[in-house]
Amino acid sequence: MSERATPRDPANRAEPADEGADAPTDQEPIEVTSGATAVVRALEDAGATAAFGVQGGAIMPVYDALYDSSIKHVMMAHEQGAAHAADAYGVVAGEPGVCLATSGPGATNLVTGIADANMDSDAVLALTGQVPSDMVGSDAFQETDTIGITTPITKHNYFASSPDRIGDQVGEAFALSETGRPGPTVVDLPKDVTGAETAREPGPPRVPETSVPQREADADGVRLAARAVERAEKPVCLFGGGVIKGDACEEARSFAREYGIPVVTTMPGIGTFPEDDDLCLEWAGMHGTGYANMAITHTDLLVAVGTRFDDRLTGGVDTFAPEAEVIHVDIDPAEISKNVHADYPLVGDAGLVLEQLSAELDRSPDAREWREQCRAWQEEYPMTYSAPKDEPLKPQFVVEAFDEATAADTIVTTGVGQHQMWASQFWQYTEPRTWVSSHGLGTMGYGLPAAIGARLAADQQGEEDRDVVCFDGDGSFLMTQQGLSVAVREEMDITVAVLNNEYIGMVRQWQDAFFDGRRMAADYNWIPEFDKLAEAFGARGWRVDSYDEVAETVDAALDYDGPSVVDFHVDPEENVYPMVSSGGANGQFALTEDQL
Amino acid sequence: MSEEVPHPNPDSEAPDHEGAGMPGPGPDERPHPDGRRNEQGIRIDPEAAAEPPVERVTLSALVKNDPGVLARVSGLFSRRQFNIESLTVGPIEDGEHSRITVVVEEHAPGVEQIKKQLRKLVPVVSVCELEPEAMERELALIKVDGEAPDRIGAVAEMYGGKTVDASRETVTVEVTGSQQKVEGAIATFEQFGVREICRTGAAALERGSLTTEQE
Repeated sequence: MSERATPRDPANRAEPADEGADAPTDQEPIEVTSGATAVVRALEDAGATAAFGVQGGAIMPVYDALYDSSIKHVMMAHEQGAAHAADAYGVVAGEPGVCLATSGPGATNLVTGIADANMDSDAVLALTGQVPSDMVGSDAFQETDTIGITTPITKHNYFASSPDRIGDQVGEAFALSETGRPGPTVVDLPKDVTGAETAREPGPPRVPETSVPQREADADGVRLAARAVERAEKPVCLFGGGVIKGDACEEARSFAREYGIPVVTTMPGIGTFPEDDDLCLEWAGMHGTGYANMAITHTDLLVAVGTRFDDRLTGGVDTFAPEAEVIHVDIDPAEISKNVHADYPLVGDAGLVLEQLSAELDRSPDAREWREQCRAWQEEYPMTYSAPKDEPLKPQFVVEAFDEATAADTIVTTGVGQHQMWASQFWQYTEPRTWVSSHGLGTMGYGLPAAIGARLAADQQGEEDRDVVCFDGDGSFLMTQQGLSVAVREEMDITVAVLNNEYIGMVRQWQDAFFDGRRMAADYNWIPEFDKLAEAFGARGWRVDSYDEVAETVDAALDYDGPSVVDFHVDPEENVYPMVSSGGANGQFALTEDQL
Repeated sequence: MSEEVPHPNPDSEAPDHEGAGMPGPGPDERPHPDGRRNEQGIRIDPEAAAEPPVERVTLSALVKNDPGVLARVSGLFSRRQFNIESLTVGPIEDGEHSRITVVVEEHAPGVEQIKKQLRKLVPVVSVCELEPEAMERELALIKVDGEAPDRIGAVAEMYGGKTVDASRETVTVEVTGSQQKVEGAIATFEQFGVREICRTGAAALERGSLTTEQE
């Protein structure tokens, strides 16, 4: 590996213009003189410490105001990356992530990331430039109807029409994004409004009165649910991403342990409950563990907390937990009985409602036999894989090697596809906010920008020693690899492990199973050498083809204090199992292709 | 089977099966529960699965007069494939809010979902489902050939309507009432040769002292 001059070498690096940006707390708030400074002041007042974005004509006044702010800005290579980075920053930091883009293509490039945040209920505030007010509607240069485009994929969006109100709107959008069920918000900022003079300081960030969530569940409902728990014989706790978003992992863990209830998580719920705990059956759904899917199929009571019963979890609704009563705890009333009927709807904050339920419970369910049954399923359906040394490197082995080599607080980000499934199956997660992935939207390319956002969030929390590992597929990595330029420039210590099978692997797996093996547009035939690509960006790169090289390369990549990419050439024919076919019954999960 | 690579995770052992995939009993060797859920995710008796009937329901939403509020509401209906029969909007007495009256055709779980999704919209203050006996009125303007003005006037009177425009060639009649009455009127006027029709959706309020904010 040649040692090359990179921006990491002091001699080769321009002095950053925002030297003071790393010390956000002791700096004076920005003075409000214009719409743009009001925007930035509102962000500061709301507690935003970082923003990810890309410059452009209509957003320039806001960027100009950021020049004087303590908010750390990361200049991204593409707006989609800015939205994903903000999303992941928010997941790790537990506060809204902020992204910025200009009008037109800047805003439309954000759209995928905003939609991703919407599907995963992640708090993101997107600020978009807009053409001057009097040109709106005239098809002006770089004009798009950002409000129209983002209405279906946001919690709410705002068109700023007055410099005196713009700060309040930004504050409200920030507060709304993290209130109740989190989600993305957008404020569209016409250039004349951000450029206009105002001295009005924004008021404190306020959530609209129509959006104040119910925190405590109805007491009668809690009583009925408690009786259902007490009489259950085969109870399962189903913990979703809402448990993490509601900071209710502690309550969820004590609840399951105190009453001896086996735990299944959803994919976004990974980390709510430690996977090394005897009660944990890991996650259920299309590629969930056999034992989680067996438990979900045979349970007589689901205590579902913070989950929206996505179809990748339920499979066909007709066969989902078909004999279970359902207690559904969610802060969003619209999720109750949307996909799966709730026998005991409990609307409220996850942690508070679990405490309410605990307080109402007089005894644990008699579930000893059920716990034994769940353990038996764990023996019966072990999460293993065959790794003969004379066959190509198995991707699962790479995931396990990284897990072995890193600490429990390591943050894993992923793209979408087979590698994502292996990263979730073969890594043992024990803490919340360590699994950062694209679930609902399934956005290929999420992994690298997410690693950038996660890295900054960890660094800002003073956790520079935490590892950030991005598992990516070759296809996912190709979609957003330009983010490497950002990671190099910002000296971000992230390790990208590309599980390279030279296929859009999940599509290839489906083609083999459901399309008679007709591998149309799934085979790359030729793919860049990602180690060399990494070096070209100024990152470190390795290529690994065999088992012998895995351990030392994993160590070297983790040890390198900067962005690195390891191109693992893995078995191109490896498939993800278990697998529930789309719309199928969870209990019918396939363990081999001929079972599909 | 060739030499196995030791797994870095000591808890996980290499499987003792050949080929791709995972070990364990296949789908046919597992116990499967008999229960089922219907399309609405409700547990059902598989022998007597019944689809919930589709009902005609009138919803009344009080919304802030924010720009774009109508687009947010109508977009929600199309995005989530809720069946909508009519939608009427107009300002209320305070000048800051409007009332949107929506007539939908959905089964009961669908109606519940519409109400909840509407309530999630930030400018939506309240949503309620009107009682079946609520007052509900639609308006239609019916333009017909003017060859028999007397007979047209008589029919209009029969439906409590009135003539709002008359020219040498056409007569336009206004009819107000329930959906059934308006439809009945239109059917009757067809004998005169209908040239154009314009209908509103429903405007609706609860009877007596009950208001649409109370549910």
